[in-house]
Amino acid sequence: MSSLIRSYGGVLAALFGGLTLLWIIGLIVLPQLNMIQRAFIWEARDGAAQQAGVDLERAYQKIATLDYDIRAAKRDIERGSAPSAAPSPSDPFAVSPGAPSPGGLASSETPDKRIVRLESERTELQGQINPLKERFGRLKIEEAEASGYSIKNFTTMSPLHWRIFGMTIFYAFCVTLLSFLFCYPIAYTIARTQKEIHVAFFMLGIIIPYALNELLRIFAWTMILANEGILNSALDTLGLIDLESGEAIRWLASNGAVFCVLMYTYILFMIFPMYNTIETLDKNQIEAARDLGASTWRIHSRVVIPHAKPGIAVGAIMTFMLSAGSISVPGLVGPGLHPDWFSQIIYRNFFEAGNWNIGAAQSLLLLVACTIFILIVLRFFRVGIQEIAR
Amino acid sequence: MQGKEIRLQGVSMRFGDFIAVHETDLTIAAGEFFSILGPSGCGKTTILRMISGFLTPTTGQVLIGGKDLTAVGPNKRPTALIFQNLALFPLMSVWENVAFGLEARGIGRRERRKRAEDLLDLVALTEHAGKKPTALSGGQRQRVAIARALAVEPSVLLLDEPLSALDLKLRQHMRAELKQIQRKTGVTFVYITHDQGEALTMSDRIAVMNAGRIEQVAPTSEIYNAPATSFVATFVGEHNVFRGRVEGLENGMAQVNTPLGRLLGMNRDDLKPGEEAMIFVRPERIGLVSQTPTLGNRLQAAVERRDLEGPYLNVFMRAGEHQIVMHMTNAGNNVSDLSGEQSVGFACEDALVLRAGELAGE
Repeated sequence: MSSLIRSYGGVLAALFGGLTLLWIIGLIVLPQLNMIQRAFIWEARDGAAQQAGVDLERAYQKIATLDYDIRAAKRDIERGSAPSAAPSPSDPFAVSPGAPSPGGLASSETPDKRIVRLESERTELQGQINPLKERFGRLKIEEAEASGYSIKNFTTMSPLHWRIFGMTIFYAFCVTLLSFLFCYPIAYTIARTQKEIHVAFFMLGIIIPYALNELLRIFAWTMILANEGILNSALDTLGLIDLESGEAIRWLASNGAVFCVLMYTYILFMIFPMYNTIETLDKNQIEAARDLGASTWRIHSRVVIPHAKPGIAVGAIMTFMLSAGSISVPGLVGPGLHPDWFSQIIYRNFFEAGNWNIGAAQSLLLLVACTIFILIVLRFFRVGIQEIAR
Repeated sequence: MQGKEIRLQGVSMRFGDFIAVHETDLTIAAGEFFSILGPSGCGKTTILRMISGFLTPTTGQVLIGGKDLTAVGPNKRPTALIFQNLALFPLMSVWENVAFGLEARGIGRRERRKRAEDLLDLVALTEHAGKKPTALSGGQRQRVAIARALAVEPSVLLLDEPLSALDLKLRQHMRAELKQIQRKTGVTFVYITHDQGEALTMSDRIAVMNAGRIEQVAPTSEIYNAPATSFVATFVGEHNVFRGRVEGLENGMAQVNTPLGRLLGMNRDDLKPGEEAMIFVRPERIGLVSQTPTLGNRLQAAVERRDLEGPYLNVFMRAGEHQIVMHMTNAGNNVSDLSGEQSVGFACEDALVLRAGELAGE
């Protein structure tokens, strides 16, 4: 901070500091705290209070309908004529207006008798209102008492959701591993390429797809993998399958497809950190190892990979977190895939079920899992945060 | 360990349009300390890399111990290379570095450790076995690199200017040490350097290279005393050079007409009268006529500058267009007040007449 003040003066330094602080608090600390807090607040929603509320609402609606019917009957008496039109159904929940209804049955009775009958029905309903009100209030209070800080958001998660959570973590791990196996040779090749122009071509080839919107990039894959898509057509052309007789291979909605597309989507995040570290390796070390008789495998396992460890760790962490939290890839490539990915469940809790607290609890689970993964990776590679920052 | 003979037969190396090494025949004897000396870019490293197997020659064969290994990779050759920057593995401890070659040969950990310690003993680094190379000094790292290369029991040790990063004192110390290790192990050493001092003090024989060609291969003293070409004469040690034309011949000597008068020297290239020639005289072979009246060639020169370099005095003189350098031994009496016009000279036997050609540093 003092060096900031020295280089930019007090006002600018305060501005920088203040903006940074605002950013940290407003965009990182507060949302996280809010999420954590929500995750530990249990909203009791067993449905009894809700049902009571619905019952009360219905009773009010019925009374309002009866009032309407009574008014209509009284108008008929004043005109001294038979009901002009079919009376409105006394039950607004009846199947359809044309269907027989209690009011319809009453068309043969005289308006006076009708009024009496309706009045008695109304009185009866009016009597039910107060007990219903009481019941609703009592249940509300009970529910409020049952809510509050608790770990129920976690303990009441269904076994299926736990399994999906576990599978998501496992899949993300697999994606990371496959991604590493796939990207390491590429990163190594680029890093060892002597000619600048070739490196530039490699880099362009890797970066250009990222100029495209992520959703479009993923959607491109659905065109490749669709039943009548490019891949199946190619197989058809090669004569391996026959599309016309319905031999299409279902690529979409499989974990393999999600894997493949996740790898593709996050390849850059794996290649770049690895490339950066491998590039700093002294070429002579590789030659020295070779000269001392080491096989290619040993050169990589003993010289290149140990050197590239910080880059591999960064790449693995990024790929893991992005694929564990990815929602667009399983959403677009794996529709109909069952079970789906954990991020989709979180999404539904937030935006469809409206149960933010459970969503927050599930997000927290994912966050903890990712943090644990990071710690394990760092320990496994014996890499410190400082080394990564380098 | 047993050294092996290296033979290059018609070896050349071409990178695109650039010829790094012209067709070369060279034989390095088993157990020899052989240096390849030349300015940077002369192709000496290319030759080293062809011997080690990192480069495949465009033409010709590389034979080590009588076996044609031209197409064999560096990891399958009985050679070990010590890199200019040493290329120690920074993430491994010193002993793991030394044992890496053994590890690559599938030798068990305990055996590796034992042999690494033996080698560290040889280079006097036993107590540093557990440290990382970065914790060592330059000279110690040097010795780790040597131990690492020797661990695979090579028949040929290739050294690519390994001392260039060290300071003077350490360099001199390491020269003696390298020489001693070479004698102890009997391995053929091929030493690449642009430093003639290193080449002269350590080697049995030296090859002097220039622009992709070997100019001369000879024992150390011959390289210094009887350089075969004008390039070798000026690259190895210092020489005063006088250009001229051969006028007459007598008893294996040639009389050369130079701007400074007629000078007589040994006619090493069998030059005929009328041919362009150069006369080379070492600064230490030039003397004052007043001290040595028998000198056959005499010049008048004005003293411009005197530099005392400890054991001897460098006297820079001017004679017409020529600058003449004279080294005088510091005997305590003759070096203090040399100035003005002096009559200097050199014996005809100490002067070398060679065909006019390229000089080093031009």
